[in-house]
Amino acid sequence: MTSPTHNASDKAPLDAVRAGELLDELAQQPTLVRLNQASAKLGEIKSVLGRVPVRLGCVSSFTLDPLKSVLELQAARAGMALESYIAPFGQFERVLIDPAAGLAGFRPDAVLVAVRLADVCPQLYSDFNGLKDGEAFALLDGWFDRLAVALQTFRQRSNAYLLIQNDEQPVNPALGIADAVSPGSQSEFIRTANRRLVDLAGTIPNTFVLDYDALVARVGRENWCDDRTRLYARIPVASRHYWRWAGFYVRHLRPLFGLTKKVIVLDADHTLWGGVVGDVGMHGIQLGHDFPGNAFIEFQQRILELHRRGVLLAIASKNEPGSVEQVLASHEEMVLKPNHFASMRVNWNPKPQSLQEIAEELNLGLDSFVFMDDSPVECDLMRKSLPQVLTVHLPRDPAGYPAIVDGLDCFDQWTISNEDRRRGDMYRAESERRQLKSAAIDMQSFYRQLDMTMVVSINQPAHVARASQMTNRTNQFNMHTRRCSEDDIRRLSTDGTHEVVTVALADKFGENGIIGMAVVGTGADAWTVRQFLMSCRVLGRAVETTLLRWIALRARAAGAKRLLAEFVPTGKNKPFSGFFADCGLSRAQATGDIQIWELGLERFEETLPDWIKVVVQAD
Amino acid sequence: MDNATRFRSIVSAILQIPEEEVTNDLTSERVDTWDSLNHINLIGALEQEFGLTLATENLEKSQSIPVLKSLLSQHGVHV
Repeated sequence: MTSPTHNASDKAPLDAVRAGELLDELAQQPTLVRLNQASAKLGEIKSVLGRVPVRLGCVSSFTLDPLKSVLELQAARAGMALESYIAPFGQFERVLIDPAAGLAGFRPDAVLVAVRLADVCPQLYSDFNGLKDGEAFALLDGWFDRLAVALQTFRQRSNAYLLIQNDEQPVNPALGIADAVSPGSQSEFIRTANRRLVDLAGTIPNTFVLDYDALVARVGRENWCDDRTRLYARIPVASRHYWRWAGFYVRHLRPLFGLTKKVIVLDADHTLWGGVVGDVGMHGIQLGHDFPGNAFIEFQQRILELHRRGVLLAIASKNEPGSVEQVLASHEEMVLKPNHFASMRVNWNPKPQSLQEIAEELNLGLDSFVFMDDSPVECDLMRKSLPQVLTVHLPRDPAGYPAIVDGLDCFDQWTISNEDRRRGDMYRAESERRQLKSAAIDMQSFYRQLDMTMVVSINQPAHVARASQMTNRTNQFNMHTRRCSEDDIRRLSTDGTHEVVTVALADKFGENGIIGMAVVGTGADAWTVRQFLMSCRVLGRAVETTLLRWIALRARAAGAKRLLAEFVPTGKNKPFSGFFADCGLSRAQATGDIQIWELGLERFEETLPDWIKVVVQAD
Repeated sequence: MDNATRFRSIVSAILQIPEEEVTNDLTSERVDTWDSLNHINLIGALEQEFGLTLATENLEKSQSIPVLKSLLSQHGVHV
């Protein structure tokens, strides 16, 4: 929607801070009036907040049009500049199958398939008791066959991610109170249908199922739908839920486009416990089995669950150094212990400064951070100083804290790897390594003291999920940040013309897990590096150089004359910019932003460093 | 904000037109943005802002500002 804005206050240009505030206000009260007012500024909001361009095609069995600008607003809030295309409703099969349909011309990065079983097989919802033995499943089979054909046909033409929503349980199941306990009941049937949808999605590459039923249940089945708009205009969802509904779709897109947050930085007083430890002492703080202490315990438990999923934790607290550390180490009710935190700043510095230091220490971009504090002043300062950080203001009443954590939808990933579960340990070991580094005399002896072993695997099926995840999460030491799905990795590692190389690293402080990956095209004359990336937590230890040399030596041994590689500056991958030159490659040519680098292998004389042990695990 | 001002700002926000243009001679035929989808949004917005529930038949397009005003007054909201 484009139209002139109405009054003078609307005319001030939006910056990232103001746009963020505007969306925060909208999230508090997402009424139709406010949604429309924000939509009038959609172009500006997108341009200041949308870092990652995403094209989303939507096909549906109902009217999805009212959600278009709401989707784009929610996407901007998540860092996406979303262009959406809503196909005419009800024609979803033709739209998916027909290469001449508008969807194909739109060239989507992802396609949302929002088809309700209630629309395609209405009897399953409105006439379930009238269906005879087997008829319900016959209807479902018929529908799944059609769906599978549509999705497979689409997949032959496009690599766009497919996101399919599952089906909601009826508000009032067909057998009333007996439904829950009767074999073959309607609610059991819908559960089975949803399970089979997951199976169907598993047969089509890059296809994901969205648990729409869980969304409806969270909000409340009775209130989700507005029968008036459903019956009159085929809009099945009440308008007061549009914001939440659109947020649900965006949440599932985030991890596919590298927009998952990685770190929570927590305040201490009034956040992890009640009271000010500096005033009341360690034994005076509120933390225990009765309110308000139990609210803080639940809050910590929620944070710990996120940590176990791979989210890093840090503290930025204004306190006397040592006081917070003492509570963490010695207060017996604390759920979060010192070993759960990758970094701590307990001092009197402004918190944006502390957060920047933490970001440098962990080697992660500021847009990977979430900051939580109960103080509106600290939150305001953080939003204004570092708008890239997602600032979460905790309410006055600690009983509301656990729900705030539950409502954070920015930490999702489609798969959770072993590296995720152990990430916290690995970052802690890293801070010990840094201490060694500052004590070491020169870099060579530092490397030597680390006693590193690099395990290189080629086309390892067990590493597919992690390899794909690294392309989605790694932004800094990455040659071009082109994302790869698990299916892409699987294809590359089995097509006979590529090698997918994954690198695990161990040292005297422990295992780092898989920290680097590369994809190399193995041509006869030239090998081409198509992916090359390394987790920032191991940079500065010459692992990246060793890996590139290892690839060059392997290419030469296979008879290749040249090694080629691309570098595409992205604004976030500065750490990569000097890498190829440092490794002795020369710049061959540039096409637009794409730089081509080359290494002649016939005169290549480098060897692998003697202070890092390289073990190869071929498939 | 009195009801009349509130009414104008709601219509202005949904139809994306300046508040001054929300006058009694405004009809759905005369403004492009007053299409069937936006009309449903408009009814929804009036419900949300004034705390009412309107009957489904009001989702039918072909409307004017006076019609909306009389609909609201039937529900005790005088704009």
